[in-house]
This record gives sequence, C-alpha cells and structure tokens, in this order.
Amino acid sequence: MPDDRAPVLYSRRSFLAGSALLAGGAAAAPLLSACDASSGGSGTSGGKTTLSVMYASNELTKEHIADFEGRNPDIKIQLIEPGNDDAKLNAMLAAGNPPDLVRGAAVGSANNNARGLATSLDPYLDKSTVLKKEDLLAVNDNWRWDGHQVGAGPYYGITKDWSQDATLWYNVALFEQAKVAPLSTTEPVTYDKLLEIARKLTVKKDGKTVVYGVGIEWQWGLYGPLCSMILSQGGSLYSADLTRTDLTTPEALRALRWLVDLAQSGAAPSSLNPLPDQADLSTFMAKRMAITQDGYWYGGNFFEAAEDMKASIRMAPAPMMGDKRVSPCYAGIGAWIPAKAKNKDAAWKLMEYFMAGPPAEERAKSGWGLPALKSLLPQMPQELPYQQEAYKTAQAELDYNVPLPVSPYVTVGNWISALNTYVDQAARKKITVEVAGQKITEDINKLLKQGKDRIG
Amino acid sequence: MSEVVIQKAPAPAPTARPATRPVRRRRWSRYSSRTFYLFVSPWVLGFLLLTVVPLGYAFAMSLTNFDGSSSLWRWVGFSNYQELLHDSDAWASLLRTVLYTAIVVPLSVAVALGLAVLLNRRLRAVGLLRTVFFLPSVVPVVATAIMWKLIFNRDSGLLNAILERVGIDAVTWLVDPTAFYALIILTLWGLGAGMVIMLAALQGVPVELEEAALVDGASRWRIFWNVTVPMISPVIFFQVVTGVIMSFQVLVQPLLLAETNSIGAVSTVPPSTHLYMVQVYQEYFANQRFGYGSAMLWVFFLIILIITLLVQRSSRFWVYYEVDRDQSD
Repeated sequence: MPDDRAPVLYSRRSFLAGSALLAGGAAAAPLLSACDASSGGSGTSGGKTTLSVMYASNELTKEHIADFEGRNPDIKIQLIEPGNDDAKLNAMLAAGNPPDLVRGAAVGSANNNARGLATSLDPYLDKSTVLKKEDLLAVNDNWRWDGHQVGAGPYYGITKDWSQDATLWYNVALFEQAKVAPLSTTEPVTYDKLLEIARKLTVKKDGKTVVYGVGIEWQWGLYGPLCSMILSQGGSLYSADLTRTDLTTPEALRALRWLVDLAQSGAAPSSLNPLPDQADLSTFMAKRMAITQDGYWYGGNFFEAAEDMKASIRMAPAPMMGDKRVSPCYAGIGAWIPAKAKNKDAAWKLMEYFMAGPPAEERAKSGWGLPALKSLLPQMPQELPYQQEAYKTAQAELDYNVPLPVSPYVTVGNWISALNTYVDQAARKKITVEVAGQKITEDINKLLKQGKDRIG
Repeated sequence: MSEVVIQKAPAPAPTARPATRPVRRRRWSRYSSRTFYLFVSPWVLGFLLLTVVPLGYAFAMSLTNFDGSSSLWRWVGFSNYQELLHDSDAWASLLRTVLYTAIVVPLSVAVALGLAVLLNRRLRAVGLLRTVFFLPSVVPVVATAIMWKLIFNRDSGLLNAILERVGIDAVTWLVDPTAFYALIILTLWGLGAGMVIMLAALQGVPVELEEAALVDGASRWRIFWNVTVPMISPVIFFQVVTGVIMSFQVLVQPLLLAETNSIGAVSTVPPSTHLYMVQVYQEYFANQRFGYGSAMLWVFFLIILIITLLVQRSSRFWVYYEVDRDQSD
C-alpha cells in the first residue's frame, strides 16, 4: 500500500482520538444536562408544569389523571410505570433528575430518608387544609425519620392505603369439608395452632397438593411474618442504635423454626413448592387454599367473586406467637417526593388529591385496603356480610397496630434475600435452624455495617 | 467463438522520479483513508459511546461504595475487588455458570446440527417442519419462561400430568435438584435460530465433495464427519463462541423460572440456578451495592474475554477454512 509514503489527512491515531473526543462529548452532554435542574421530563413550559410521576397505572388511573388535570389546568402529568425493580428510579436519582412524585412503601422508607433522598413534607402538612397531621393514622409514622429513629421527626411520605398484613382470610367451606372448626373472627389463633389446623386442611393426592391449608405469601418475602412473630413474643430485631441485629435469640429462633416447619409440612406454598403465579390469590380463589395471611386489602378481591365464595369468606385477627397481641403493617404503600424533585409544589397538589381527594374516598369505599386517614375510616365498605365482619375485625386490630422494626442502614429487600436463602436451606435440612439464624445475623450485620459506613 | 483480443495499454515512458509526489497518487491516498474512516466511524463511535464509555464508567463505579441513587458515596480503591476474592457466594455462582455453559453450549450446538441435518433432507413438508422447529426461537424469552413455568408446575403442570399417566409421582421441577435441568430445557427450547444457521451452512457444502467421497466408498457417517463437519466448522465455531458468551451472561431465565416477583426475592432463585449474573443482580438491586456489583462485572468481563480467546486459540486445531488466511492477506 502506498499509504505509508503518502501524507494521509486522517491518521488512525488522529481519527481514534477525534472519535474518542466526540464520544466523550456526546457522553458528557447528558451527564452535564442531568446537573441542569430545568432539563428532563418534568419542568415548566408555556406556563404549564409537567409533573413527572412514577406510579402504578392501575392505582393512579387515567381517570384520576384526567380529573386532576381538569382541576389543575396548569399541571400536566407524565406517568412513569415503576417496573419490577428500582433500576429506573435509581438511574433517575443518580442522574439528579428524579420524578416529582414516587410510589413507595412506608415500611422501610427510613433507608431513603436517611440517605437524604426524600423531601420533608412537614412544611406542606403544616399549611395544608386537606392533609392534616392530626388526621394521619399511625401507619404514616413509618414515613417519619428524625436522624436516629423511625416514627419521630418529619414526615417524608404519605400512605395511600394499608393493611394489618398478618391478619387472615379463610374459606369456611374448606373448613367444613375438612371437618375443622372455623377460626374466630375476634380472638387470635396461635401460630402453632395455625400450623396444626393448616395440616388438617391440606389435601394431597398422588404427590400433588389439591388444597393448601394456609398461604403466607411466601414468595413476597418472610420479613413481615418473621417480625410479627418476634414482636408477638416481646422480642426485638435490632439493637437500640439500629446498627446490629441478632437472630440467634430464642424469639427469633422460634419464629424461624415455625417457618421451616411450615415449609416442611407442605401445608403452604413455599420455596420447596412455589406457586406458578407468584401469589396466593389464584389458588385461594380456586378454593385450593383454606387460609391466606394477607391483610384487610385482600377483601377487595372478593367484591366481584362468585356468591358462594362471598358467603364463605371470613377475616380473622393476626395470629400470636407469644403473649403479646400485635397486628403490624408490612408495607403501607404511598408516595414520597424526592429531594431533587423540580416541581414539589405541584407534586404536593397531586399528593393532596390522591391521598385525601376523590381517589382516596374511592379506595376507602372499595375495600382495597384501609385508608391512611382517620376521617376516611367510616367510608370502608359494610354492605355485604363478609365486609361487615371484616370491618369489625379490622377495627379491632387497630388497637394492636405496631410498627415493623426498621433500620435505615439496610433495606427490607436485604432481609428478604437473607431470609429466603437460609430458611430455604434449613427447610431442606442442609443447615439447622440455629445455623440459619447465625448466618442471617452475619449477613445482615455485614450489610448494616456497610450501610452505617455509607450513611454515617 | 470469436477471439477476444486484449490490447495492452502502452507502457509509460520511464521518467525520473519527480522531486514532489505525483498529485494524482496523493489524492487517491487521501480519498481512500478518508472513505475508510468515514465508513467505519459509525461503528467506532458506537463502540466508544456504548461500550468503552460504559466500561470506563463501570470501572470507576467499581472503585466506590456507590449505592445507586444517593450522593453518599466515596472512593474505596480496590477493596471491592479484594472482597470479591473472598466472596464464596460469587465464586460458587461462577462455578455453576461454567457448568451451565459446559452443558448448554455443546448440547445446543449438537442438537441444532442434528436437527439441521435432518431438515436438510428431501422430506415431505420440510418447509413446515423447519418453521415448526424455528418458531420457538422467535417467541420472546419472557413468554417462553412463563410457558415452561406452567408446564413445570408440580400441582397443575402438563409435565406432571403426563408423568402421572405413566404412573410416576409428581416432581417439583422448579426447585432443587431439578431446577437446573428445567433451566437447561428452557434454554434448549430456543435453539431454532442456531438450527437455521447450521442449515444454511449445510446447504453451502458443495455436493461434489460428498459425491466424490461416496464414489470413493466412504460411509454416510464418514462423509458427515470428514467432509460435512469440516466444511461447516467455521459456522460451528461461530455458534460455540456466541453460545459461550450468551450462556455466561444468562440472567432473565433463572429469574423468570423462580418464584421471584420483587427485587428482594431474587434470592428465591434456587441455588442450582443462582448463576453469576443473578448474583450480580442481587448485589446491585437487592443489596444496593452498585460498586461491588460493578467490580463483579469487570472481573466477569475479563473471565469471558480470556475464555473467548482460548476458544479462538483452539479453533486452529478444529476449524477448517477453505481460504488459506495467510494467502488471502
């Protein structure tokens, strides 16, 4: 080739250098633009604010959005589906361009709050005529963080609805079929008794389970049930400063043993025999599950169920493992406003509309969860017999509502991971329950240390 | 047939080398390199933007304790890499990934080749058969995984219903120890794409070669092994290389086959299908350890690079190219 002798205009080196410069420039452009508060999906143009909202479209529906935009003609909502993981939100937060309003759970929100990701809502609550602090039910305390503990300090979010998630729903017809006395709708059953009953209710044939005695939504994670059992024995999950955990205590080991026994009994779907659709609902509705531990919100599923199903449904209080009656909420889904949100005032308007306006009333009447405002409690459905009974049970459970223990230094997801891994190994008899407790303790303490190191 | 007369162009008179380079020659040179770089620039830019920059960004992140969202991070040097050296979960998941790859790649190449050989014959409705075998590979992986999840279900799955008919008790397919086999079956379900590539390669094998071997008295197997396979070995090599890389990077299938429906529940993936990328996903999204996850990915990148180079090296012993690469340069 003559090129080696010809003075070439673009040498390989200069070309690659130029390309790298271009690529670097192109890559840097979005990064730099992320620093610009006016860029991104949300913002204001032509006097109209575009509100970027990360929420599930089956909860914040098209009708809600249209209604809100009708009431606030200067605001347009851009809805972003949250997806199954936090990848989208993480990317937006990391780029400094988060949505203006984000769906999230109250329980575990301390992790975000301690990392400075959320906006304090106290200034808005103090001024609001719609959402008032004195009207907020205790579940909203899970959004509070004062730098040291959950339940004190400013609110960083508002719950839309919630449930006493350890409460039970059961199908009386399956109890009658198994000749087992139905559960009381007022007095809690013990976890040991629940397992015994579940075994009796379980029907197996040719190695298959025709009817499960109980379901605890195993696939959604064991953190809630475990905490509920420990709290019921008067135990605790964390040290006072929330930087250490210990699952080798008698209370924790007893709770772990119960979970292992349940999995080994085959009376419930578990990691040893997972359900195909990742939820107990279809199995329960098919009358193939006698009891499901799901909380008040589950009642919304029965509204359009067959009449015989409606007639067979009952709600029972949260079971007890010790002497203390507790009925915690495992999530308390609601919304929060990111610290770097660009349209906080508009986001608050939507918060008021969604948490206390027509959508909130609509939810309260539907039975899809307890409202998070005291003023909306009387609107809960009581037309059908099962709704009337569930209303009474849920009201009685309010007295036993306790917050789930939460540390800002780990996530609920961390707990679910560790519990799934080691409870499964114990259920397969690869390790003992004691070893499982020890391993979970070690894993979580390691993460707590890393979280503490990061957050300070 | 008329004779074609080729007239030679008159040779230029020998001249002394000019002091300056001929203008025409220089223009041609400039034009050539400019065109070359112009044509390759989209790829180079894409490579730099979509590969080099993210790789660099991930490497920088691997030197931090970044949690993926907050500004509370700091440089931690190579401590993530040091931790990875002693992370038994990560290494165990890597070993499982190697085992999975060692099973899936040879199986998928062999079965794809076998199917291609069968469908390369003159059969009735061969077009329909080819379509039927190719069809699963165009179904999205999510749909495929859900379908198999339902088939594998212990209580209401099709597979256990069939087993029941022949007197075998129900098997809980989607948990250990059978979850690994379920994953392999799911993976092999989509080998239609490989089959089509093999089929194309088989159809490119000159018939004369096989006929000559037949005339020489070679058996069908001998012809296949000594003529057909060497002729399509570059395509087999391509399938092996891409198969190895894709098998190492498998993530979605184990997640979809498990009872997972949330980030925290990623650990419900049974141990036998808890492959390396699942472990990475867990570190990123369940444990919020973007720095550590990035370190895991960088190490994984180097491992895949080394294995790919080894496969490339091995090709000189078993891949036959009709064109001698040394002469073609």
